Amino acid sequence: MSARAQTSRINPYWLLVAPAVLLVLVLYVAPILNVLTLSFTDPKPGLGNYAKIIESDTVATLILRTLKLCIITTVAAVSLGYVVAYAMLHALSHVRQRMLSILMISFWISVLVRSFAWLMLLGHNGLANNALIAAGLISQPLPFMRNEFGVLIGMTEYMLPYAVLPLLANMQGIDPRVTRASRSLGASNAQTFLRVFLPLTKPGIIAASLLVFISSLGFYVTPAILGGGKVQMIAEYISVQLLVTVRWGTAAMLATLMITSVLVLMYVLNRFMKLSVVFGGGPR
Amino acid sequence: MQDKAFLKDLAREGAIAFKSGRLDRRSFLALCGLAGVATLAVSAGDAEAAANEIVMWNWGGESEKCHGDAIGKPFTEKTGLPLKFDTSGPLQGKIKEMVDSGKVTADVCDADGFDAIALGKSGHLEAIDYNIVNKAQIKEGVAWEFGVGVIFYGYAFMYDTQAFGDNPPKGWADFYDTAKFPGKRSLYKWANGSIESALVADGVAKDKVYPCDVPRALEKIKSIKADSLYWGSGSEAHDMIVNGEVVMGMVWQNRGKAIEERTNGRYKLVMNEAIAMPGAYIVPRGNPAGRENVMKFISQALQVDSQLMILDCLGMTPSNPEAFGKIPEAMQPYAVNSAMNIDKVIFNDPVWWADNGGDAVNAFLDAIG
Repeated sequence: MSARAQTSRINPYWLLVAPAVLLVLVLYVAPILNVLTLSFTDPKPGLGNYAKIIESDTVATLILRTLKLCIITTVAAVSLGYVVAYAMLHALSHVRQRMLSILMISFWISVLVRSFAWLMLLGHNGLANNALIAAGLISQPLPFMRNEFGVLIGMTEYMLPYAVLPLLANMQGIDPRVTRASRSLGASNAQTFLRVFLPLTKPGIIAASLLVFISSLGFYVTPAILGGGKVQMIAEYISVQLLVTVRWGTAAMLATLMITSVLVLMYVLNRFMKLSVVFGGGPR
Repeated sequence: MQDKAFLKDLAREGAIAFKSGRLDRRSFLALCGLAGVATLAVSAGDAEAAANEIVMWNWGGESEKCHGDAIGKPFTEKTGLPLKFDTSGPLQGKIKEMVDSGKVTADVCDADGFDAIALGKSGHLEAIDYNIVNKAQIKEGVAWEFGVGVIFYGYAFMYDTQAFGDNPPKGWADFYDTAKFPGKRSLYKWANGSIESALVADGVAKDKVYPCDVPRALEKIKSIKADSLYWGSGSEAHDMIVNGEVVMGMVWQNRGKAIEERTNGRYKLVMNEAIAMPGAYIVPRGNPAGRENVMKFISQALQVDSQLMILDCLGMTPSNPEAFGKIPEAMQPYAVNSAMNIDKVIFNDPVWWADNGGDAVNAFLDAIG
């Protein structure tokens, strides 16, 4: 092919995608950018809002608290999710189907319903405490809810399906003959798991962790209900600044910060595995 | 964003002028081009046809039915205009955003006094027409330029009679005294009411509460932080008391009677030193039904029978002085403006809250975190 023909050739598939891309850009990206520029213009033009990250104790504490809770949730959810995914991998096919349905149904239940259910189960006057008091094991109800512990329980439970699914997808992609080969070469069960299986699931763990972390950054309802008003996270703070105190510049600044962090994290994720796997495509 | 509202007004005035013959067609079309309005979309008839219904933006729950029966029914009988509701809750930021965007969908908002002052200052509200709304029917001090205080509600607290039956707490000083009255308390999360209660507990005289010394209040609030929970909605406040999570809970006074009944009298309401908040009906600028209709609606809300019905259904106290004397005996202990309570409550200063509310809320959230 002559050089001229090469350079004037546009990949025709771009033309197929172009209308959808244009729609997303105009109707989604442009309005979001419009709001985010408020962080530079409200109340005064400049980087005043961003200086708050360093100057204001409130904003710094808020970001640190959100990060702390999200990291703990990620570790807890991915650990538990690993156990569940491992069990599902080795279960009989019909048992696995049942486990999957239970997981999916809990996934589909609204977050509001789940938060109130936690309150009913572990709250001051809830099933767990009443049972423990009736059995004589404790005299005062244990404070499971209306504090950071309650928030972590609620968030971990909500994030469990997000952790299980990428892990399961990854594990199912591992050739089972590899573990058998390892056993046949003399490795014990523990050695096989630690030195063969676990490293192979590393992409899955990373994908699950990043997915859970990114999702939990934006949590609003669960901390608001289960935290007793004391556990404020970034999403709720943004909402208060938007609606109650009308400090739109601060809200936009925090929102920009969140979106940028998420995009950076997804770029990092992309280095470890193709993003398409997380969103349902095939491995590699 | 202000331009959009101005351009819309420009187009509307131009259409009215065109229809009445004062503007010729060419100039009108030029005006439309200037205002960025597609000529196809403009028909002079539309500008005149104000929406033939009133949309009230309130907080949902019981209030939809209550406002409908108490104000909507008599209003519709008199004017023929139906009453519709938007129950998403008119927070200050939402109202501001709605007016800025140019698409005003609500006629009257059930908001707070400080919203009336803050949004009035920034030009987002219609001025109240006191030729239609009768100032004599409004309690003194709450007939503002951009809003009318139609009802009063209050921040009071309820205590557990099982825990403190023989020595009941009498005011905010007792509420903040965890040594004498041990147990958990609940406070309002968005600072309003909580700050004033802390100042009173710290010894500030009732008439010196405003302007609020916020740092002093926050010190007091931090002193009981370990024993406090914070609620953001009426149902959360209700749940915390009914589930026995707190021995003393701050509540909106209008819920007091309902909670007392729900707990079979176990929790009692204390109205002494309650912080009385004027609820304001405000009109977003450019409301669809037009000024006259919405002023008639507000006027209806001030009538004695509507006011008493709201008291009965929602627990919100009337603002019409005529209605004070007519509050039924059973409701008197729970009403802000009844003879027994009106001297004991502390009336909120909406001007201070309009100017300092945002900072106060942020400082409060910071302190309790």
